[in-house]
Amino acid sequence: MSGYIIVNILSTLLILTSLVLILAKSPRKAAYIYGTQALVLVAILITLGSASGAHGLYTWSITAFITKVILVPAILLFALKKMKPQQEDMPPRLAPTVTVALTVVIVVLCVLVVSGITLPTALEVKPALAVSLALFFIGITCIISQRSIIKQIFGFCLMENGSHVSLALLAPEAPMLVEIGIATDAVLVVIVMVIMATRMYRTIGTLDANEITKLRG
Amino acid sequence: MTLESTLLVIALMATPFAAALLTAVLPSKILPHWAYEVLHAFSLTIVCVSALYLAITVVLNGENVQALGSWFYLDALGAVFIFLIGAVGLLAGWYSLPYLRHKVGNDTLSNRQVKHYYFFFNLFIFTMLVAVLSNNIIMMWVAIEATTLATVFLVALYNNRFSLEAAWKYLIICTVGVAFGLYGTLLVYANGASALADSSQAIFWTSLVGSGAPFDPLLMQIAFVFAVVGFGTKAGLFPLHTWLPDAHSEAPSPVSALLSGVLLKCAVLIIMRFYTLAVETLGSGFPQMIMLIIGIVSVIIAAFAMLMQDDVKRLLAYSSCENIGIVALCLGFGGPLGIAAALLHCVFHGFIKALLFCLTGNLDMKYGTRELSKIKGVLQVAPATAVLLVIGFVSLAGFPPFALFVSEVLAIIAAVVSGNIIVVVIFGLVLTVVIAACFRAISKMVLSKAPEDAAKGEVGVFALVPQILLVVVILWFGVAMPQQLFKGIEAATAIVLQEEGNVLLEAPVIKDLFDE
Repeated sequence: MSGYIIVNILSTLLILTSLVLILAKSPRKAAYIYGTQALVLVAILITLGSASGAHGLYTWSITAFITKVILVPAILLFALKKMKPQQEDMPPRLAPTVTVALTVVIVVLCVLVVSGITLPTALEVKPALAVSLALFFIGITCIISQRSIIKQIFGFCLMENGSHVSLALLAPEAPMLVEIGIATDAVLVVIVMVIMATRMYRTIGTLDANEITKLRG
Repeated sequence: MTLESTLLVIALMATPFAAALLTAVLPSKILPHWAYEVLHAFSLTIVCVSALYLAITVVLNGENVQALGSWFYLDALGAVFIFLIGAVGLLAGWYSLPYLRHKVGNDTLSNRQVKHYYFFFNLFIFTMLVAVLSNNIIMMWVAIEATTLATVFLVALYNNRFSLEAAWKYLIICTVGVAFGLYGTLLVYANGASALADSSQAIFWTSLVGSGAPFDPLLMQIAFVFAVVGFGTKAGLFPLHTWLPDAHSEAPSPVSALLSGVLLKCAVLIIMRFYTLAVETLGSGFPQMIMLIIGIVSVIIAAFAMLMQDDVKRLLAYSSCENIGIVALCLGFGGPLGIAAALLHCVFHGFIKALLFCLTGNLDMKYGTRELSKIKGVLQVAPATAVLLVIGFVSLAGFPPFALFVSEVLAIIAAVVSGNIIVVVIFGLVLTVVIAACFRAISKMVLSKAPEDAAKGEVGVFALVPQILLVVVILWFGVAMPQQLFKGIEAATAIVLQEEGNVLLEAPVIKDLFDE
């Protein structure tokens, strides 16, 4: 049973890393923090694999390591290096205290919702499940609260991580192709987003979401 | 299920994919334009013919087709949508040829951009076909996400500030929205994996539906809400519809036709699949309430926005939100009439919106603008376009004898039968706003006086023929719906409701019609 306890403890680290990511001043720092969070995610998958006996999770942890710990941060760091954005840190739309308060509200709500679930696979890992659902919504908070387009891309990645962990917790025996499909998709989305961000930076000259306001009504 | 149908399903998906790959590898520097055009036309013709053949066989024989294990699956419900993809895909694809030639002619697009266009257009068709034919629920989601990735570059084709902003908004809002869809899908899968006897089957829609397995109701509720918000984003439903007017107006006109006419409907199909699952576990109350609320809010917001627009493509884009809202409302009314109205509305609106967006392409070629205040005297400048434009807007307003009239009347009957009187009154009032918006557009563009310096002349027969064909379809479906379509809609309705037999012929009101 101790394996599940470790999973639950590790999952709280997901919340902490995402908060640090949202509050990070520069997108470059955010990339490193994202890599750290992805490492926590890999650790959760491995622990869960040994606790539940679902060995598919080991291969899953490898794909997660390659895509989330290495590829995603590398792609974004590469893009940032190529673009050399003038103004790296933009003040967020929401004050940090508001963001933290929102996060707390999200976590509490998610704990309440998850407590009603009766699925047998979920019983041992309810705290982690609540955290993964919360992570999903924290990702949205990141997208809403940040002006930097790069930070918004990370917000999407946080959402993706949230659904990833939920799937691992609820259906550890999921077929390999499912994991690979989701992981590939996440990387593809990040690549397309980075291409679009680069094209916008070249044409419009900004990575500030507040500047994207020409179209209205 | 015959082997040839299985092979045809695979060929249906493989053709546009292969055409896209071939377009990508062919060198644009050496090859002339027409090489891409031939490839493009060839691929879309094959898609259209095989989609029509498959749809009609599935509907008439009442047999489903499976391919590649159970990963892909075609039933009557899917048949309705591959018909739409095949037919509208071919006509919008056809219109692309003269439209792009014009754009190359006035130096708006380079050879490379034309190549990109045909590449992504075929990829777009491919991803929609995969989404509609998937039986694997994760694959369904992957395909819907892939439609976003394939179309975002089409929206950004002109590479100017406006189209890039629209594409970015489209990308970020839809991927975030569709992430909800993923979460919902995963919850359904996890639910199925522990409830079904054979957990490896939990990934297939056909095994989940009608299994009678004890799903966790709370999990199913969350999953349904997530799926509706998620795929509803892609369908242009409130609250995450804000990307749609930007993306659909900034995209090249034939792409707008396909985005509004077909892609939104593919997302609706996925919602319908989840709707069926949710109704089975939760009963019809909760799913219908969700669809009613989202539907009526979408209709109201979009109808008033239509009235405010000075950009004809934005007006049409908001009208798409409004019409998808009507589809959601029909799902909210439920019952055989509601579901059939939803399906018919998807098909009819697909053709009408494709027509109107292609017509904005004509206007763009003649006037070089999308602003209602600058497009004047179309009747004098391009009479054929003007006539088509009037037909298009009149049918969009829901007037007989055009097709949309049938589905809207059916929607209202469904509302009354299901007892949603207040909703139907609001709905009726809002439809008058839509009519006003349509006639405002006609009077501004068609009935006004042409500017002195306007160059008179039509856009060319080759561009007009696909539009005339669309009008023929709209009129044909409005006055004499083909037997195959009726049967297809009936069989699809039966699948959504998970009932057997002639659900439509035995439905209230319709039953009385046929009894006499």
